[in-house]
Amino acid sequence: MIRLGLILMVICLAASLVLAVTYKITSPAIEMQSIAQEKEALKEILPQADEFVQKQEGRFSYYECLKNKNIIGYVLKTKAAGYGGDINLLAGIDAQGVIQAIEVLSHQETPGLGSRITEIKQGDKAPWFLEQFKGKLAPGLKLSDIQTISGATISSKAVLGSIKKDAEEFLALKKG
Amino acid sequence: MAKINLKQLWFEFKKGITVENPTFGLVLGLCPTLAVSTSVQNAVGMGIAATFVLLGSNMIIAAIRNLVPNEIRIPCYIVVIATFVTIVELFMKAYSPALSKALGIFVPLIVVNCIVLGRAEAFANKNTVAASFFDALGMGIGFTMALTIIASIRELIGSGTLMGFLVAKNYDPMLMMIMSPGALLTLGLLIGFVNWRRILKKKKLILKTGCCSSEILKGE
Repeated sequence: MIRLGLILMVICLAASLVLAVTYKITSPAIEMQSIAQEKEALKEILPQADEFVQKQEGRFSYYECLKNKNIIGYVLKTKAAGYGGDINLLAGIDAQGVIQAIEVLSHQETPGLGSRITEIKQGDKAPWFLEQFKGKLAPGLKLSDIQTISGATISSKAVLGSIKKDAEEFLALKKG
Repeated sequence: MAKINLKQLWFEFKKGITVENPTFGLVLGLCPTLAVSTSVQNAVGMGIAATFVLLGSNMIIAAIRNLVPNEIRIPCYIVVIATFVTIVELFMKAYSPALSKALGIFVPLIVVNCIVLGRAEAFANKNTVAASFFDALGMGIGFTMALTIIASIRELIGSGTLMGFLVAKNYDPMLMMIMSPGALLTLGLLIGFVNWRRILKKKKLILKTGCCSSEILKGE
């Protein structure tokens, strides 16, 4: 009995060693990819802005979006607790809290259900679910403001809830 | 050490592509087959990823087959397979983010791809490292080929492109072919075609030899 456990342990140890080495090799490249992806997403969210300055305030990590040195909005990094794990979002809002655009950086939602938060319908350019948020006021956002994804209420609610909560707190923080 | 039999190795390699093709012959690993065969690019990416995992897991499992007690062989296989899948996933994320995004959840799901576990249990468990290598290579190439064939048909009819290039202008794509029913239809028709060819071949053999020996039935 103990022998079996020991053999399994040795195999698992060897496996984790191999994985640790692989992780060490690939993690800088993965990091770079995710930064590049974020930069790309920023431009999609606020195409009018010509400069993005990364800032940290309180628990918020965000970008100040500048046009001719004037702040035209913010891009908040938020995390929503989805059905399959964290949904990493970028939410672009202007100084009043009107949503400009939302991008999903990564998620682990169920394929075919929750994963439809990034579903792009045939002929469209952007995911229909995220498009609905455009032009809506982030503070006080209600579930009835948008059409949720059928069969994926948790994912829909998570995205909406985290944007509402984070935008409210962030704007309050900004106002002092 | 038994002498390495080239003929046997060639047989192990060939069978994965022809008689025991994982998709058309064994009908294994259909979940990824149906899901990622929407475009040739995805299909080839998935095929290569699965082939790599197969090669790695088959060889390691063959190498440790005498050290692993029978009672815990399945957990050991899973650990080995999961390790290789994670390696593939990390490398894909680092160096081919577009592919990793397109394949999404189906890369981690290679862990439970029954082709990989199937080969571990049915083949690598009982054979040498060299034989397992060729078995995995054949199975991997067979799987990749099958995926590519299905994906070519679906992409061509479903979006009018091939490898992402526009083939037919002014063509109204038949959307259904890229969606799930298209996968089932294509796969079903292809399996039907392969089996029809096989039956024809068998009939010819029987007519030629005039008998129906067990050898003919076995070696279609």
